[in-house]
Amino acid sequence: MRAARAGLGAVGVGLALWGLWLMRDFNREQLTSEAFWLAGGVVLHDAVLAPIVVLLGYGASRVLPGHFRSSTATAFLIWGTLTIVFLPVLSGQGGKAGNDTILGRPYVLSWVVMTVVLIAYAVVVALIRRRSGRGRVS
Amino acid sequence: MPTVADIERRIPRPDDFESQARGTALTARVGSALGIAFLVCFATGLWSHVQYSTPGWLTISPNPTQLYRWTQGLHIISGTAAIPLLLVKLWSVFPRLFIRPPKGKQALVVEGLERLSIAALMGSSLFMLASGTLNIIGWYPWEFSFRRTHEAVAWVAIGSLLVHIAVKLPVIRQALGEPIEPAERHLDPDAPTRRSVLNGAFVASGLAVLLTAGQTVPWLRNVSLFSVRPGDGPQGLPVNRTAAGAGADQTALDPAWRLELTVGDRTLALSRDELLAMPQSTHVLPIACVEGWSRSATWTGVPVRDLVALLGGRPDADVTVRSLQTKGAFGSSRVVGNVVKDPRTMLALQLNGETLDIDHGYPARLIAPNRPGVFQTKWVNRLEVRT
Repeated sequence: MRAARAGLGAVGVGLALWGLWLMRDFNREQLTSEAFWLAGGVVLHDAVLAPIVVLLGYGASRVLPGHFRSSTATAFLIWGTLTIVFLPVLSGQGGKAGNDTILGRPYVLSWVVMTVVLIAYAVVVALIRRRSGRGRVS
Repeated sequence: MPTVADIERRIPRPDDFESQARGTALTARVGSALGIAFLVCFATGLWSHVQYSTPGWLTISPNPTQLYRWTQGLHIISGTAAIPLLLVKLWSVFPRLFIRPPKGKQALVVEGLERLSIAALMGSSLFMLASGTLNIIGWYPWEFSFRRTHEAVAWVAIGSLLVHIAVKLPVIRQALGEPIEPAERHLDPDAPTRRSVLNGAFVASGLAVLLTAGQTVPWLRNVSLFSVRPGDGPQGLPVNRTAAGAGADQTALDPAWRLELTVGDRTLALSRDELLAMPQSTHVLPIACVEGWSRSATWTGVPVRDLVALLGGRPDADVTVRSLQTKGAFGSSRVVGNVVKDPRTMLALQLNGETLDIDHGYPARLIAPNRPGVFQTKWVNRLEVRT
């Protein structure tokens, strides 16, 4: 087990170093831009996204009636992660001039529908939970 | 003035985070699924790079016909599926960011190294998913080469993933062996459970796939409301680069267009009518693009090997295909001998029973089985046969 882990770790370090080696001829401008994007994701998550989610969870656990909490959390998880997946097509960026075979769908409308469906899911499941008497009634 | 100790007291500690749904049992399960998605994404991505710049010792077969369509479709699908899993995984371990550094020099070094590997893993993972999804929509808000950087960082991501698995293996094994919910009853019966978060992560991941994969899975076309490629276009096929975008919209319509064929110092020029007068074959072949969209179509044209034979070239000679394209990359491509030999490798003149649309490469385009879309050269004006 110990040897297997050491071997796996060594292979991992080797592969990562190979990745760095592949960047050896990148110029300064490219490396700066790459470093910005590499660090940007970490900072954006740890300093912005994660604290917002923690605060929303903190608030929701105190504001929402008990039977709403679980379904709201699930709906928010699905809504939040899917919104991030769909950010590129929702951004209005990209595409190619004179080419309507790319980005040719009403993405924002679909996103609004998705949001409404997930809110409806949270409400319906919460009401079922209340009727069945599960959880605390508040 | 607040002292360092005052500030330190205000920074939350791992125990300050309330959610009972966080825990190793959840992290290990989401992480396992995420690891599988990453490995599939890495392997298929690597294969795509091999298809793009094939090393000399390797010959890629034209069979299976749909191979690149499958591997590249899977690449985008596994990457898309990974996004919700990664976000939930990061959520589940977020409190660990606030673990205080250990006392003692050696422990500090070990902790520092582990944190470094996690920073590399997290930074490279987010980089891969962000750059990949932006490439699909054709938005490049950066200064680096997408293809080369996406490849290089992939090695960093998979390497740091292996290091992470090596470090965490005992924890993962133990967590996967235990029931997902904690043994003690929940203090708060209304709070979300680990099971509900795990299910939510899988549902989100599955929905992300269903809502986008229609660009490559035909029966999902009407379900995938968020796919970048709705799947339609001129003659029922999407277009990556239009004739105008390639700077070929004038030259392609020139009645004086001829296909130039060269074998050594022998040359031949054929008009479109002359090509149409040759024996035609018809095959169903997919266009499969690196962006993860693909669609099959019925192509009719002249097998490239027949053209090669006109000037007495070997039936398995390598052929360089050149285009009228003046703008953008991939203005020519090389067809290796074993693909030239395949009778389905054609200079296509018709698509789905109609004269090839200009955006699909009129007057003539290359189409071959198991070949990335960018190498299906459009607006072909020259075939150079290697002797």
